Amino acid sequence: MAASIAARRLLSRATAARRVLPLASVAALAPRRFSAGASVPPQTPTPTLPPPPLEPTPEPLGSEGAGAGASSSSSSFTGTGASGAHRSSPGAAAGARRQAGAGYQEEQEKVLRASLLHVPRMGWSESAMVAGARDVGVSPAIVGAFPRKEAALVEFFMDDCLQQLIDRIDAGEGEQLKTLILSERLSKLVRMRLEMQAPYISKWPQALSIQSQPANVSTSLKQRAVLVDEIWHAAGDAGSDIDWYVKRTVLGGIYSTSEVYMLTDNSPEFRDTWTFVNRRIKDALDLQKTFQEAAYLAEAMGAGVGGTVQGVLNRVFQNRSP
Amino acid sequence: MTLRAAAAARRLASCTRQQSVVLGSQAEAAHLLAPGMAAGSPRAAAAFLHSHATSFGYKQVREEEKSKLVGNVFSSVASSYDVMNDLMSAGLHRLWKDRLVSKLSPFPGMKHLDVAGGTGDVAFRVLDSIKSVSRRAVGGAISDIEEDTHIYVCDINPNMLNVGKKRASERGYNEEKCLSWIQGDAEALSFEDGSMDGYTIAFGIRNVTHIEKALAEAYRVLKRGGRFLCLELSHVDVPLFKQIYDVYSFSVIPAVGELVAGDRQSYQYLVESIRRFPNQENFAQMIQEAGFERVEYENLVGGVVAIHSGLKL
Repeated sequence: MAASIAARRLLSRATAARRVLPLASVAALAPRRFSAGASVPPQTPTPTLPPPPLEPTPEPLGSEGAGAGASSSSSSFTGTGASGAHRSSPGAAAGARRQAGAGYQEEQEKVLRASLLHVPRMGWSESAMVAGARDVGVSPAIVGAFPRKEAALVEFFMDDCLQQLIDRIDAGEGEQLKTLILSERLSKLVRMRLEMQAPYISKWPQALSIQSQPANVSTSLKQRAVLVDEIWHAAGDAGSDIDWYVKRTVLGGIYSTSEVYMLTDNSPEFRDTWTFVNRRIKDALDLQKTFQEAAYLAEAMGAGVGGTVQGVLNRVFQNRSP
Repeated sequence: MTLRAAAAARRLASCTRQQSVVLGSQAEAAHLLAPGMAAGSPRAAAAFLHSHATSFGYKQVREEEKSKLVGNVFSSVASSYDVMNDLMSAGLHRLWKDRLVSKLSPFPGMKHLDVAGGTGDVAFRVLDSIKSVSRRAVGGAISDIEEDTHIYVCDINPNMLNVGKKRASERGYNEEKCLSWIQGDAEALSFEDGSMDGYTIAFGIRNVTHIEKALAEAYRVLKRGGRFLCLELSHVDVPLFKQIYDVYSFSVIPAVGELVAGDRQSYQYLVESIRRFPNQENFAQMIQEAGFERVEYENLVGGVVAIHSGLKL
């Protein structure tokens, strides 16, 4: 399974010719299942992403301290595990280790996916993860081995939604988008992504609070940055000017405010939220146009004033010349 | 050379490499040799190895003798075990056990085995943790599963189990149907394959004759996805702290043992057995060789204790 995912990722990278998100923090991410980012801003070389680690090292303990007076340090052990007289070659040992790591990743993904079914009832909690583990037939004790428990579940959901969004765009919705104007394209993509949260909306405030915990903030921001970049890329933005950052910052703000608006929306099928999204995106693009027009005006005025001053100076100097 | 003897030899060699151990004198080992065999001769060494020698502190003893000697130690200290733990660790052992249980993440419906846990310290914490999870659970969503919760406390020493049972009744755990006290050996557990969600052993694996066997048994009884956690006194690597810790270990602990428990030798053994135990990396290697994945360890108080964990997949 892991191999097929890797193959699919390579294929999607090759066909879509997607480039890497330029934010240093995001570039540092090991590649996930989805294509990590879309377009590159000015003067930013495309960084080469490192291969994913064979066995993920444990994450910082975060809020779980070792207790007063018990200073702690943790370490992950990745020995070859070859025992007896016949020691396996380093290559074989590494292969076995990679396989073991893949086995864990696969089990983790199965458990987290099954856990999502229990989130509407149990929330983004260990209880949901325990129920998910039971569903897939592994001991729920495995949940204790996940680095940041509930945060792992929320992060998995975010990654999975992004992958679904990319799959839908690649499966043909991308073609339909081409017939729409930019504001409609962006609105549709934001809506597609927010609709994925609809089944979990009653528990989404809990997810937001988990994401805002200090230990989880950086991953949360990276995930949102990648999401916003994918949306711009799918909307057809291939710009490489200074607007690159502005566009992503503005859309990130719109996405976050829409997400919060959605929590208080009681209209049927979140109609008010979609209206809100449409308006905000239109406003942002209109504002961008206004800024551009202001810039052109300033440029023109500058050119005009400059021309006038230059003309006056020329005359002065011409008169003074013998 | 038998596999067991080879393992013992390998353990001895690794201990020598770490320079964290002082081997017992030849005089101490001499009683194991056949009559007329010089203590220093190669033949004597071979015979010693074939007798399945193991360590009891810094002494070399026959494997059959070790469990008896360890049994005597714990029978001797059982009554003053709690007081001595508090004195030796300045109460920190409570925090270490809390950390062990928080890493375990117990859940309602859990089948858990606590080995060498006769006093019930870890078992009570696991039980309390499960109860608190149940209280936090949404609208009794897991109350039906709660009945399946079962914690087994396994210890080879009946005196230690008696201490645990007594404490259970004092703390009101006697009514708990989910708590079972079983006399058993970590190297030959009486539980079925794949029957446990969790396995903990706190300050116990050091006293096992064959660590590899105990780890293999832990792997056997765990379900797929089950976790192994071991809290054990380990090796300090911080230079200045190491010297202070050594002085404290070899001078203070045995003296306190004599003063409080009236038993210097047992606490001398305790200190020596810590030094003979494999260091963090070597023990992690042993856990991995037993078949566990995601093997990690966490040092507490600069390596005075370490929590090793592994996952069965």
